[in-house]
Amino acid sequence: MSFFKLNNDKVAVITHERTYTYNEISRVEFKSTQKELVLILCENTIDILSTYVSAMNSQHAVMLLSADINRELLEDIIIRYEPKWIVGLESYDGYERSSEYLVRIENINMNIHPDLAILLSTSGTTGSQKFVRLSYENIRSNAESIIKYLDIDEKERAIMNLPLSYSYGMSIVNSHLYAGASILLTDESVMEKSFWSFAKDQGATSISGVPFTYQMLQRIGFTKMELPTLKTLTQAGGRLNEKLVKFFAEYAKERDKRFYVMYGQTEAAPRISYIPFEKVLEKAGTIGVAIPDGHLEVNESTGELIYKGANVMMGYAECLEDLAKSDELGGVLHTGDTATVDAEGYFTITGRMKRFIKLFGLRINLDEVEKKLESSFHIPLACTGSDDKLIIAIEQEIFVEPIKKAVEDLYKLHKTAYKIKVMDIPRFANSKTDYMKLKESCL
Amino acid sequence: MTNEEKLREIFVEALGIDINQVTEDLAYNTIPEWDSIAHMALIAEIDDQFDTMLDTDDVLDMSTFAKAKEILVKYDVEF
Repeated sequence: MSFFKLNNDKVAVITHERTYTYNEISRVEFKSTQKELVLILCENTIDILSTYVSAMNSQHAVMLLSADINRELLEDIIIRYEPKWIVGLESYDGYERSSEYLVRIENINMNIHPDLAILLSTSGTTGSQKFVRLSYENIRSNAESIIKYLDIDEKERAIMNLPLSYSYGMSIVNSHLYAGASILLTDESVMEKSFWSFAKDQGATSISGVPFTYQMLQRIGFTKMELPTLKTLTQAGGRLNEKLVKFFAEYAKERDKRFYVMYGQTEAAPRISYIPFEKVLEKAGTIGVAIPDGHLEVNESTGELIYKGANVMMGYAECLEDLAKSDELGGVLHTGDTATVDAEGYFTITGRMKRFIKLFGLRINLDEVEKKLESSFHIPLACTGSDDKLIIAIEQEIFVEPIKKAVEDLYKLHKTAYKIKVMDIPRFANSKTDYMKLKESCL
Repeated sequence: MTNEEKLREIFVEALGIDINQVTEDLAYNTIPEWDSIAHMALIAEIDDQFDTMLDTDDVLDMSTFAKAKEILVKYDVEF
């Protein structure tokens, strides 16, 4: 049975060039006598989207990578996972070119678990060869939960400008195609004029963004734009500072729109929780409640946030042999985040399990320091460190003195125990802080 | 420093590119360095150094170096 239902004449995809109904999405054939791996280098084009949909419907496993992935890493991944088909590459040693993809010349016996649907990288574009294994059931159940709480129906027209290889982007595509809704497909950012004319002309009903998107939206004066068809804004992909949550929550309230702050992890395909839009002002700073059919709890002894649901991944893959593995987690995900929960069942992330340093034997949670300073200064900053020094990276020189004072006041740290560094904070393409790089450049 | 030199320097800093790359027709999204993230930094730096507060259309219109000068003229910056 097909994963995505394509036999209808409703609008599926709108690009800058034209409109495609579900029937008009090309069916790309992936023929093999066994289950294979399809590697797709993702861009937001109709060709890539059609290939993704076809590959999902073919029941082969699909690996989604960013088209601007580092070439060396890509080569390592191809050697390690031996995909039968590669989409989005002109040529590759040992592969033959056909119209839609490259096909491996040599036949290899593959052993891929029948439930395995999608492989997503654990670290975006900078990447590793470690992947999250998602099953058809993971994808289906998460799409259904999202459809429920965002109330997605066939009339929905979602702007999709996030990468498909990024779990948030993938979930927008899955949930909307699953609901029989439409996707406005573009690679443009909110910083481009043509993005806005596309959104207006095509009657976009929802926009999705990571924290940096919302910083940009605020800077370009989004709240003054006339967007009558737009009714939903969603935010995920990292913590949006509370000031901005409130800014957009107020806007949504005044303009009769819905603003959803959401939390998730690629390991959960990816959505885990959300704040119901009517609660976003009251519950700003929290990650909300579990998605429909999911369950959240805080482990009493460790403080770790635990998620349970049908969308929890099968496990990780680090080599070809791992693709044969069945479900290893049994629907239980240790998020690695620590959290608290309030009387009404709203969860608040307090830090990461592993981002601790010890200063003079004192356990310091780097995320808590970051959060605390961010809420006092409202500037971009990031903390890293080793067991003898806390490092606070900031981007503006003028904040060095006030932050020094705050750190000494808050944490009673001696001046040799910490350092404030003025620098460009390294970030991933999705604007999340690259803590690995930050640590490397500071220590 | 002339305003032209100042603007050129802002482009170099915000985009992290070589001064020789800052030509009149240097355009948004034509080099990997000038993406939406760098554009935010560029706008912030321009606002800061020329003491402006560019409005929506101008932020979105500022797609080349030449265009940036054209826009700044509206804010009484002389070139």
